[in-house]
Amino acid sequence: MSWQDFVTISPLVAGILTAAAILVVDLIQPARSAIAVATALIGLGITAALTLIVGLNPASAFDGSYTVDALTTFLDILFISIIAMTIVFGPDYLVPRNLPVAEFATILVFAMTGAMLIAASTDLLVLFLGLELMVLPGYLLAGFHKTDGNSTEGAIKYFLLGSFSSAIFLFGLAFVWGLTGTTRVDEVAGALAAVVAGAAPLSPGLAMGLAFMTTGVAFKVAAVPFHYWTPDAYQGSPTPITGYLSVLPKVGAFALILRLFVEALGPLSDWWLPVMIVLAAATMTLGNLVALTQDNVKRMLAYSSIAHTGYMLVGLAAWAGDPSGRIDGIEALLFYGAAYAFMNLGAFAVVAALQKRTGVTSSLATFAGLGRREPMLGILMTLFLLSLTGIPPTAGFFAKANIIIAAVQAGGPLTILAVIVVLNAAAAAFYYLRVVVYMFMRESATETPALRHGALLWSGLAAATALTILLGFFPSALLEAAGRAAQALVPG
Amino acid sequence: MARRLVPIILALAVIGAVIGIAAIMLVVLGQDWEDALFWILAAVMLGAGLLVVTMRDIIRCGLAMMVCFGALAGIYVVLGAPLIAAAQVIVYIGAISVLILFAIMLTQTKDAPSRLVFQTQAVPAAISAVVIAVVIALSIGATDWAEVPERIRLATDALSQVLFNDFVLPFEIVSVILLAAVVGGVFLAKREPGGPS
Repeated sequence: MSWQDFVTISPLVAGILTAAAILVVDLIQPARSAIAVATALIGLGITAALTLIVGLNPASAFDGSYTVDALTTFLDILFISIIAMTIVFGPDYLVPRNLPVAEFATILVFAMTGAMLIAASTDLLVLFLGLELMVLPGYLLAGFHKTDGNSTEGAIKYFLLGSFSSAIFLFGLAFVWGLTGTTRVDEVAGALAAVVAGAAPLSPGLAMGLAFMTTGVAFKVAAVPFHYWTPDAYQGSPTPITGYLSVLPKVGAFALILRLFVEALGPLSDWWLPVMIVLAAATMTLGNLVALTQDNVKRMLAYSSIAHTGYMLVGLAAWAGDPSGRIDGIEALLFYGAAYAFMNLGAFAVVAALQKRTGVTSSLATFAGLGRREPMLGILMTLFLLSLTGIPPTAGFFAKANIIIAAVQAGGPLTILAVIVVLNAAAAAFYYLRVVVYMFMRESATETPALRHGALLWSGLAAATALTILLGFFPSALLEAAGRAAQALVPG
Repeated sequence: MARRLVPIILALAVIGAVIGIAAIMLVVLGQDWEDALFWILAAVMLGAGLLVVTMRDIIRCGLAMMVCFGALAGIYVVLGAPLIAAAQVIVYIGAISVLILFAIMLTQTKDAPSRLVFQTQAVPAAISAVVIAVVIALSIGATDWAEVPERIRLATDALSQVLFNDFVLPFEIVSVILLAAVVGGVFLAKREPGGPS
């Protein structure tokens, strides 16, 4: 390991040190949640600064297994902001339930380093380890509320299915390694390009390896029909953690998809395109249809997050199906990931804020009369839900519009997919707006006084709101960054 | 009593079938004794694995799993990877199996049954497992493995060279994963003040 290598991975090291620092601070000042949060935010700030500085000079370290390019920087900054917001939203929910904030923050930061590792890795083995580092803390967080049976049940389901899918992914990876002789992403792409060109045969073992890897990844993003773990894990987890689970592991898994399917398996895109089209169509349609029937807001948002996975897969399919090789699909996917992260975290933060008083459920009835009881939270929730629906001028509108435009540009079967996206967005409006109707047009059955929320929660909500609105009015800045990231992934 | 014998008969049948295939392979196709050893170990591993999932007493399942791990270590030796075989014996048979038996011993109470409670979808699971196994076997059989040259010699010195040069980044990341797992594991296992003891 040379000094240059160390500089290149310094954001990752800073992330790991942040996690360690929170633990040490908690050891010195036990159970002081404000100090733990402050340590975490300072550490994340340093990590973000290092990411931006290192990102100025695209570089490759560790013999080509770790790469810093525009995509790495884009995703790293996104991951850091997701984790910072989750940590800010946490204490309002955790402290009344006597759950420790320091451990929460530490485990989250570990998960972030895993996601950052995925974004930077150009080696299949490092990719797998990054995936493990990202999802392992997720299992722990899902079971964070130890005395709650639902939390434990969701965690066990998530853990078992998550470990199986990791094992399936690793099994496929072993076959790909055995038959291409390399784990480097660019060398795998070269070997597969030779297969596509007809210079080498596609052996059944290699095809099986690729199929297993696809299955493993589909589990991680919770694409239909690999989504069964999602609703239970999401509903059982403490609400701020549900928000986190629906965002970071999902965007992180899409980072894996970009590195794996676009960079390593890019030469085979004609072959995996049909699979992606079917996955995308099934995922968004089933996610939305089941979300329609839910009367628990957390469970509804869990199914809607499945639907959003489908929209993002459309972006991937639009890139693979574009005959002229335009990168608009990947650009749209990256933009969607960022917009989705902020609006979804915001929506979950409002649900968590309502549950500040212990014993309050996340059923739809909790939201009745919220607009009158706590007008500010009601208005913010409405904004996030409108953005999730995709109504202008919010971030969600441009995110969906970009996906649809990319799919229409690609033409062919992608046009049908674009139509399915539009139909799904219309169906989704029903269940998102139903919450708004409950908040402003129904009266609460029991009179509950308004809660007081901490400054941390309000500042986090302000950040989510600002990003949701700003990305709606001025999407071009983020679009340009996403474009540069897509360019780094697919040169030419 | 007859119900108890079903898994054992099933396992013996699998072992017999695999050894039968091995015998045919040896006699008809003229394979050498190294292959015979592989087939015997594979038969033991499959039979033990079957016992792990079909037997009803969890302690016997744990013991069958140790046999399964041991047979796998033997297969590593046959494949020429003594270091991995040693690690398999030390880590899996030595540490993990004992941990599992300890966990069973410490968590069992008199009123909780040691019967397995998760076997509600055994038949569909068995069918899909067999289908997937057949698909994997067919595609492995159809793959031209001769085209793959021998890449890494798994001797200890070569392995350490690879581990600490080419794969130093993954090696270090594994330690971070373990740290995260330890932090979370301690949190989950820690007894809450006032919680259930």
